[in-house]
Amino acid sequence: MSPILSVRDLRVVFGGVTAVDGVSFDVAPGQLLGLIGPNGAGKTTVMRSITGIVRPNSGVIELDGQRLSGLPIHQRMRRGLALSQQLVRPFREMSVIENVAFAAGHQKTDNPLRALVTFSHAKEQARAKELLEMVGIAEHADADTGSVPLGVLKRLEVARALALGPKVLLLDEPLAGLNTSEAETLAETIKNLLQGGLTIVLIEHNLREVMRVCPHLVVLDNGRKIGDGPAEQVMADPVVRAAYLGAATGDAGVAA
Amino acid sequence: MTEIALLVQGLLDGSIYALIAVGLTLVYGLLRILHVAHAGLFTLGGYVGVVVTNQTGSFVLALLAAMIVAGVAGMIIYRLVYQPILHLPPYVALIASIGLFIAMQEGFRFYDEQGVSYVAAPLQGTVAFAGQNLQVAKIVTFFGAIILIGGLGFMAARTRTGVAWRATVTKPKMAESFGINIVQVRYLNFFIGSALAAVAGVMVSLTTNLVEPTSGDVWSYKALAIIVLGGLGSMRGTLIACFALGVIEAFGTTSFLGAIMNRDAIAFAFLVVVLMIRPQGLFVRT
Amino acid sequence: MESLLNAYDMSLIRTAAIMVVMALSLNMITGFCGQISLGHAAFMGIGAYTSVKFSINGIDFALGTLAGMALAGLLGLIVGLTSLRVRHDFLAITTMGIVFLFSGIVEQSRYLGDTDGLSGYPHPAYDDFTYMMLTILLAIGVVALSVYIKRSWMGAAFKSIGDDEDTARLLGINVPLYKLSAFVLGTALAGLAGSLYAHQTTIIQAENFGFIESITVLSMVVFGGVGSITGVVIAAVVLTLLPLWSQAIGDYKLLFYGGLLFLMMRFAPYGLAGLAQRARLLLTRRAGTAQ
Repeated sequence: MSPILSVRDLRVVFGGVTAVDGVSFDVAPGQLLGLIGPNGAGKTTVMRSITGIVRPNSGVIELDGQRLSGLPIHQRMRRGLALSQQLVRPFREMSVIENVAFAAGHQKTDNPLRALVTFSHAKEQARAKELLEMVGIAEHADADTGSVPLGVLKRLEVARALALGPKVLLLDEPLAGLNTSEAETLAETIKNLLQGGLTIVLIEHNLREVMRVCPHLVVLDNGRKIGDGPAEQVMADPVVRAAYLGAATGDAGVAA
Repeated sequence: MTEIALLVQGLLDGSIYALIAVGLTLVYGLLRILHVAHAGLFTLGGYVGVVVTNQTGSFVLALLAAMIVAGVAGMIIYRLVYQPILHLPPYVALIASIGLFIAMQEGFRFYDEQGVSYVAAPLQGTVAFAGQNLQVAKIVTFFGAIILIGGLGFMAARTRTGVAWRATVTKPKMAESFGINIVQVRYLNFFIGSALAAVAGVMVSLTTNLVEPTSGDVWSYKALAIIVLGGLGSMRGTLIACFALGVIEAFGTTSFLGAIMNRDAIAFAFLVVVLMIRPQGLFVRT
Repeated sequence: MESLLNAYDMSLIRTAAIMVVMALSLNMITGFCGQISLGHAAFMGIGAYTSVKFSINGIDFALGTLAGMALAGLLGLIVGLTSLRVRHDFLAITTMGIVFLFSGIVEQSRYLGDTDGLSGYPHPAYDDFTYMMLTILLAIGVVALSVYIKRSWMGAAFKSIGDDEDTARLLGINVPLYKLSAFVLGTALAGLAGSLYAHQTTIIQAENFGFIESITVLSMVVFGGVGSITGVVIAAVVLTLLPLWSQAIGDYKLLFYGGLLFLMMRFAPYGLAGLAQRARLLLTRRAGTAQ
């Protein structure tokens, strides 16, 4: 089966520092892939190269067989990608549900002309409600985004990304800033999202949760890939363990 | 009109822009505010310069008075206009500054709508150079600007105050934890910047022998364009852009462009073209 | 009805209606889409000059107006393109530059009347009253258009861009295309205002469409509450009529504007709409506690 997302020989250099050095990996359809590694390994840069926020120096990224290079961010999103950002960025002037409903209307906002002649928000409101329920924040639907806690905002990011109806969902540290029980719940929710045929790539520092929910891991260290395979196998790899234990991290529970 | 003459003319004008732009860059670098009201301080300097010269006969005294009055006015503006709104989105400060600028202009209009002139203007006359007549006042301004701005730069690099100031501009939080009084630094910035603008206002008043409410406008709009051109916050970029603009204007107005657009349009056309090529300005803030 | 209003009243109403169009046109760019523009009056100028040139050449007023709108919109497109490259402060100064480019080119051009401007041009054959009704109708039309856009998905997209354009991109919004749409719409309508203005006065000069005039329109948008259609309409009417009604304010018009802008930013940065919202919140809270 051909991968739904493939990264080949990705290389990103920022002013003399090689953030990503020849990283390649594939993501199979329906997979829940964890992209992990110590601080500064290049995980976020890889994700940003996929979404188009960062322009790599070289390398090929393909989504469902289509090359993404050179495409502007908004077009990549319309090809089936979606991103939940690490630092939450809800629209401050919209309520929680409005944020999701707006994303749900992505077909209507495809181009200005189309957007100009479309009015109805009913379908999108309904879909937004569904998604909010899916991630468990339906009770905050009408709340002002400035007044809800971080846990809710992180889930809002996920719901909003889902509203785009993507083929591949990228989650950039969705559990960061959450306490143990919140993280556990959100991780479960993420796992359940696979049921719709979605593919998910997850960057996370919270190793405990990642290992619990991700069957498959790709490990980066210093811009290079040092592990790629089933979770237990990767975490048992001495090279991977050295990378983590070598760096003084506060990551939760790497089994000794 | 030879090339050399135009070049020199451009550099002379550039020094006037520099005196205005330094204050703008200081404020932007520290507070990220486009201090449009700075134009009013230029005009204020001009008014004070003329009035004091006429009253006392001493130009030097007038110049000093202009610098002090404008400097203090600048500090007051910071305290009353900017400090209370620093926490709000940046467009608020911009609009407040514009409002203040308009109000100041009207203030000058009430003082004297026709504007004020020297009874006996000092530093008049021109010097012939390479086929052009250069105004003595502008030549003096050029050297004065070099001394003043150069002196500032020296102070910033060598003295304790200067180092503290630089620290505050680049890393305010850290500076604060080192015990540097940020607010004092801000007041100092506004004082210095406004005083320099006043010098520009006084020197330009010598060249036109008239200070009226809108005197500071166009110089200041262009100075704003210059700091954007220079790269918003980069002192080096600003100073280079000042002289570059002066020279571009000198050559532009005598070229074919001068037939279709006036001097100010040429300046702004230059700005727009540069920004299209380099949207972050010529130099990135260091 | 006509006898109730004298010529002066009618010219006041016409002016207010024209400024409503101007303010709402800027509201589309700055209010809806969050792109600051300090040079909006230049587009009014483009509409005015084009319309006047057309009428000098004996062309129909309606056509002249449409031409003015088209040219203003086209130049707005170009300015919009610059807004794609630069942001915020850079954009503010670039748009300020537009005003100087406009007057700098017009004042150097014999064809456009130099610094003397254009005068003695033919006006459309409407009487005062009819022209007033026309401006009112067009103003209402622009209000309707603004409401329409705001309610549509285009308005939603604009809102997202004004709120957080990077996130909007991540939600599939073609930000550049939308920004350009906002600019073209806004500037074309400013051109409309310009044409209407030109034919209710006897002379137009570049200095009528300068930086201060641009700031005046911006102050209406800010005073009304950036993005709020009702607020902006009220602000445009009040700020236009107040100096004309009250002689005291009239003499000090600019001082009033300047002071108003500054005081508003200091104490009510979200304008009338913001104040209205605060009042509403206060009232509902009171009603809540009363129970």
